[in-house]
Amino acid sequence: MKQYIVRRIGYCLLSLFLLSLTIFFFVRVTGDPATLLVEPGASPDDIAAIHHQFGLDRPLLVQYGLFMASVLTGDLGQSFYYRTSVFELYWSRLPYSVMLATAAMAFSLLLGIPSGILAAVRVGRFWDSAGKVFALLGLSLPSFWVGLVLILVFSVYLGWLPSSGSGTPLHLIMPAFALGWYFAASHMRLTRSSMLEVLGSEYVKLARLKGLPQALVIGKHAFKNALIPVLTLAGINFVIMISVAVVVETVFAWPGVGRLLYEGVAFRDFPVVQGTVLMLGAMTVTVNLIVDILYAVIDPRIRLAS
Amino acid sequence: MESPASGGTNTKLTRREVLAAAAAASLAAGAPRAAFAAAPAGQLTYGVHVSLAAGWLDPAETQGIITPFMVLYALHDAMVKPMPGKAEAPCLAESWSSSADGLTHDFVIRKGAKFHNGEPVTAEDVKFSYERYRGTSHELMKENLGSIETPDPQHVRFKLKKAWPDFLNFYSNASGAGWIVPKKYVEKVGEDGFKQAPIGAGPYKFVSFNPGVELVLEAFEGYWRKPPSVKRLVMKVIPDEATRLAALTRGEVDLAYSIRGELAEELQKTPGLTLKPVVLQAPNWLYFPEQWDPKSPWHDLRVRQAANLAIDREGMSQALFLGYCKITNSIVPYTFDLFWQPPAAVYDPAKAKKLMAEAGFANGFDAGMLYCDSSYSNMAEIALNNLGEVGIRAKLEPIERAGFYAGYSNKKYTKGIIQGASGAFGNAATRLAAFVVKGGAFAYGNYPEIDALYPQQADELDHDKRASILGKMQQLVHEKAIYAPIWQLGFLNGVGPRVGESSFDRIPGFAYTAPFEDLTIKS
Repeated sequence: MKQYIVRRIGYCLLSLFLLSLTIFFFVRVTGDPATLLVEPGASPDDIAAIHHQFGLDRPLLVQYGLFMASVLTGDLGQSFYYRTSVFELYWSRLPYSVMLATAAMAFSLLLGIPSGILAAVRVGRFWDSAGKVFALLGLSLPSFWVGLVLILVFSVYLGWLPSSGSGTPLHLIMPAFALGWYFAASHMRLTRSSMLEVLGSEYVKLARLKGLPQALVIGKHAFKNALIPVLTLAGINFVIMISVAVVVETVFAWPGVGRLLYEGVAFRDFPVVQGTVLMLGAMTVTVNLIVDILYAVIDPRIRLAS
Repeated sequence: MESPASGGTNTKLTRREVLAAAAAASLAAGAPRAAFAAAPAGQLTYGVHVSLAAGWLDPAETQGIITPFMVLYALHDAMVKPMPGKAEAPCLAESWSSSADGLTHDFVIRKGAKFHNGEPVTAEDVKFSYERYRGTSHELMKENLGSIETPDPQHVRFKLKKAWPDFLNFYSNASGAGWIVPKKYVEKVGEDGFKQAPIGAGPYKFVSFNPGVELVLEAFEGYWRKPPSVKRLVMKVIPDEATRLAALTRGEVDLAYSIRGELAEELQKTPGLTLKPVVLQAPNWLYFPEQWDPKSPWHDLRVRQAANLAIDREGMSQALFLGYCKITNSIVPYTFDLFWQPPAAVYDPAKAKKLMAEAGFANGFDAGMLYCDSSYSNMAEIALNNLGEVGIRAKLEPIERAGFYAGYSNKKYTKGIIQGASGAFGNAATRLAAFVVKGGAFAYGNYPEIDALYPQQADELDHDKRASILGKMQQLVHEKAIYAPIWQLGFLNGVGPRVGESSFDRIPGFAYTAPFEDLTIKS
């Protein structure tokens, strides 16, 4: 078991090293950040001074070496645009992303799972069709459009909710809905198909033959088993919600990690992009490591096979 | 908030209070407006279109873009800076003089000017701020500087190595070197500490900052010009334009920067909201890089003149910016020192076609690509149609902003047409140096008669004579139709019903609200 864990940690470190290498060189392909920090017409001296200030005039390998040396000491560098520590920027934004993702996930599960069950139980009837329409709308309506419509209705016309920003639970409602809407549709579809599969299985048929009430068959025997793939998807979606809620965060001026990453890309802020991607990568790798270890604890065949 | 003048319930004055009142009255004699101004009250909230950066809180970091001045004008103050009605207005310097040989510049620091921590602004702070400056043009400013002398706390003397006619322009306008920070405080808290809790000499003091999210400022009642009327300013970043308008409509913000196109039209129609257009010091233009190639149609002056006549600038401005762009017919901003006003731009497609025929292009010609910054491709589309109507056929090639300007300055677009722009600081000389004169970063070719005039103006200390030389250079740029200038961009903003004085468009060419101490809330 110890050897298994050490090996897994080794893979994780290798993954992070490859990620750092990839993001470091890829972000530099996007262009010169100095051109975005000055007005067109700025003197070549000013451009050169910016290159020097940010160390962009050094060979790429030297830049990478310095970057990695800083990372190993827990320093993700200074943002070109914000002129502040990337580490501090990231940690100031992460709680907002987690908060938004949690609310959006709760909304998507509360909406997606019951509607998926209803559609599966009433297959081919009104609720099933209504569920299909909901899924179609959820997956096809772009989140920026949903967000703007929500702002127009609930902020401008009705005046019930603040249009943007953060700070109170009211600020969270519309962004969570706009972000969770898409995921609710995908959770609904998976719940429906998973439930249909389980409802057709032998043990559910047996439960019915035994004369168990419909609610018990669905609630106890079918739903529990149908939930496993849904929760697996929800776990993956949660990480996605934290990392890439760029559009929703921009529309609602929500200060999350996704917006930080987007701004980093838009401003060619190499340290922000490198730092944010690396932190998100570390988060994903850590979650995977924990899952791998739990699998090994639960199922000895996995660690033996490894 | 209850002002001291309102009295409250305490009517008995102690001896100490009487002495304090007398001292306050004697101080007020030097600043009569401050003495009788009401105490700052209320809050105004901004919906800001760009992410606020920590670097903007420190004048030493000023890059050559206008955006940081959105914050600098509130938090800091400069020795000399553009103010309403004056491009070089005395601020922390109450006066200055230059020697006849242009080598020495003396500044007298304003009595009573102080930082937010109560420390007076001194000559040492001025020297420190100049030497600490590391933003745009700092190499140039360092190269030209011989020494800075501080004979006493109220006087500063800049001694230059050689006469530099643009010294004051760069010190007051085109850099952040003249914006003063407290030496003792910066040395005490360090560079990072200063960015986290900056102290300036501006009308508003720092309260809190969340990078990219929100900046909170509070009125500094000791500001030399006058105490601000509004107690608290909150600058909230709202990146999406439609959301900014929604926030303005709902009253969540009182001022919203950058509301364009159809949203601006909606803003105009919304009761209680006011559209505040500002003309930026950022001209847009078309440039013909093939004009130095004798085989190219663009080599013929008549073709370039035809292109100038083909562009419907007014129509374009109406369609895209509700008519709020300023058509100056120059690549030099009209607010720049030494600007020469060319004849008004003319839209005359019939005459353009005639010129094309005279040049041997009655059936037009294929002009290749029209390269532009993709964020202004809507302008380029209209220009393309206008040119097409007189027979100049081109295809649009929008390129992402950084890539476009890198290609433009690296002289990649040698064929076709370039739609360019510049909001860089400076004056007519610096603009021509970058875009017209031989060796300019954005000049694809040159004209010897213009080049010959450039060194003459660079050594000329007499402002009028220099203006005359630069006027001649600008006239030649116009006559040779090197460019087809389009306009100076209109920057559209929204103001909510609570705002009295918004301070928009008080300083020509400045995009944002300033002076901040003039902001008011309607009673």
